[in-house]
Amino acid sequence: MCLAVPAKLVDCGDGQGVADLHGNRVPVQTLFAPEAVVGDWVLVHAGFVIKRLDPGEAEATWAVLGDLARCAEGTDHDQY
Amino acid sequence: MTNTKDTTARSLKALHETAAKVGKPLSFMEVCGTHTMSVFRSGLRSLLPENVTLLSGPGCPVCVTAQSDIDMLIELACDRYVTICTYGDMLRVPGARGSLERARGDGADVRVVYSSMDAVDIAQQEPQKQIVFAAVGFETTAPATAAAVDRAVKLKLTNFAVLASHKLVMPAVTALLEGGGVKVDGFLLPGHVSVITGWRAFVSIPGKYGLPCVVGGFEDEQIVVALADLVSMVHKSKPSLINQYPQAVSEEGNTVARALLTKIFEPCDVPWRGLGVIPLSGLALRPAYKAFDAQRKFHLTRPPDREPKGCRCGEVITGAVTPPQCVLFDNGCTPTHPIGPCMVSGEGTCQAWFKYHRVRVPNKHRAHADSTAEYEVTA
Ligand code: SF4
Repeated sequence: MCLAVPAKLVDCGDGQGVADLHGNRVPVQTLFAPEAVVGDWVLVHAGFVIKRLDPGEAEATWAVLGDLARCAEGTDHDQY
Repeated sequence: MTNTKDTTARSLKALHETAAKVGKPLSFMEVCGTHTMSVFRSGLRSLLPENVTLLSGPGCPVCVTAQSDIDMLIELACDRYVTICTYGDMLRVPGARGSLERARGDGADVRVVYSSMDAVDIAQQEPQKQIVFAAVGFETTAPATAAAVDRAVKLKLTNFAVLASHKLVMPAVTALLEGGGVKVDGFLLPGHVSVITGWRAFVSIPGKYGLPCVVGGFEDEQIVVALADLVSMVHKSKPSLINQYPQAVSEEGNTVARALLTKIFEPCDVPWRGLGVIPLSGLALRPAYKAFDAQRKFHLTRPPDREPKGCRCGEVITGAVTPPQCVLFDNGCTPTHPIGPCMVSGEGTCQAWFKYHRVRVPNKHRAHADSTAEYEVTA
C-alpha cells in the first residue's frame, strides 16, 4: 500500500485539487507539494500528492505503476 | 526514446556477468511490497542469475501490523456508536475474532476510505457517530494521517480519533541487521517510502553495516539496474547507497510532509508481526494531540499478540522462509481464504507467490492442515 501513482493535476488551490488518474477525476490534497500547479504530473498516494514529477519521467512510469496499482487492488482479474 | 527492452537486456547481461565474477551466492532483500509484486508479476525472478536470490523483507504494512492492532479495531467495531474507517487492504486481515469484513457482515459500521481525509469528512457529516480511522502504513502513508489529525483539530472535531499502527522502515531494517538472524548482501530500498524520507535516511546501512543499498523504481529495467548495481558494489567491495529512482526520490525527501508528521507524531516502541516490539519503530500522537488517540479515548488495553497456528508470516516477512515452506500455503491458506496477513494483501509475499509462483502440490503429498485457524499466543 506504499504504491504511489502518477496523475495529472487538473485543478488545485488552497491545499486541495483534482487529479486525472487513468481518466478518472479524483480529489487530492496538495498540501505536501505546495509547488505543484495545474498541468503538472504528480505522484499520488492515498489521496495526497506526495511529489511533483518531471513531465517526461511521469509518462515513462505511468504504465508500470498503473498496472501495479490495479494488481494491488485486485482489479486485474487474476484467477485464484 | 530509449528502447526499454534493449536497456533491460543489457542490464540483465551486466547483472549476469558481474554475478558470475562474484561466484558465491548473494541474497538481496527488497523492503517494499510493491517491489515484491513487481518482481513476481514481470517474471523477473526467473531471469536472475542462479546465485542471486531476492528475499522479501518487512515491506508490506498490512503484513507487519500486529495481531493486537487488528483485535483492538474489531473490538471498537463492535461498539454500535463507533464507525471504523479503513483502507481496503485491512478489511480482510484476520484477527483472533474474525476480520473487519466479518464484523461488518455482523452489522458493525466499517467503511473503506480512499484517503484519511474521507474519514474526517465522515466525522464532520455524522456528529452523532464516533469515527475511528485505522491508521496503518509506513512513512509514505503516515503524513496523510498527520494531515487528518491536523484538520480535525482545526475543525474542533470531538468525534474523530485514530488507532495509530504506523511503522517506520529504518528501525525495522536495523532490528533485522542487529538481530543477526537474517543474512543479506544488500538492500533494494523502498522507492515510495524514500519519496518522503529521502535517501539520506538509509545511509547508515552502507556506513555502519557495510551493506550496499539501491533506491529503486518499479519498472523491470529499474529493478534490473538496481540489482546490477548491488552486485557490482559487492564485487568491488565498495558498499554505498545509489539512488536509481531520482525522478521521485531526493536526498532530503518531502520536507513539508515530514514537518507535519513530526508536529503531530513522535516515535514510539511498537509491536510488529513476527518481529516483536522494535524500539522507536512506530508513531504515537504527541501529548497535545492525545484527544485523538483512539486507544486512550476508548480505554482499550492492547491484547496479547497472537498468530494463527501454523502461520509463518513472521518468518516470511524477515526472509527467513519462503511461503511454500509454510504448511498452510495453498493448503488452507489462499487469497480467497487467507489465514495470515501475508496472503491478504496484494503486496503480501504469500499472495505474490500464490499468484505468480505457485507449484501445484497434490494434496496427498502435503501435510494436513485444518483450514480453520487456531491461534497461539506469541507475546
Ligand atoms: S501461507 Fe498463509 S498461513 Fe502460511 S505464512 Fe503465508 S499467510 Fe501465513
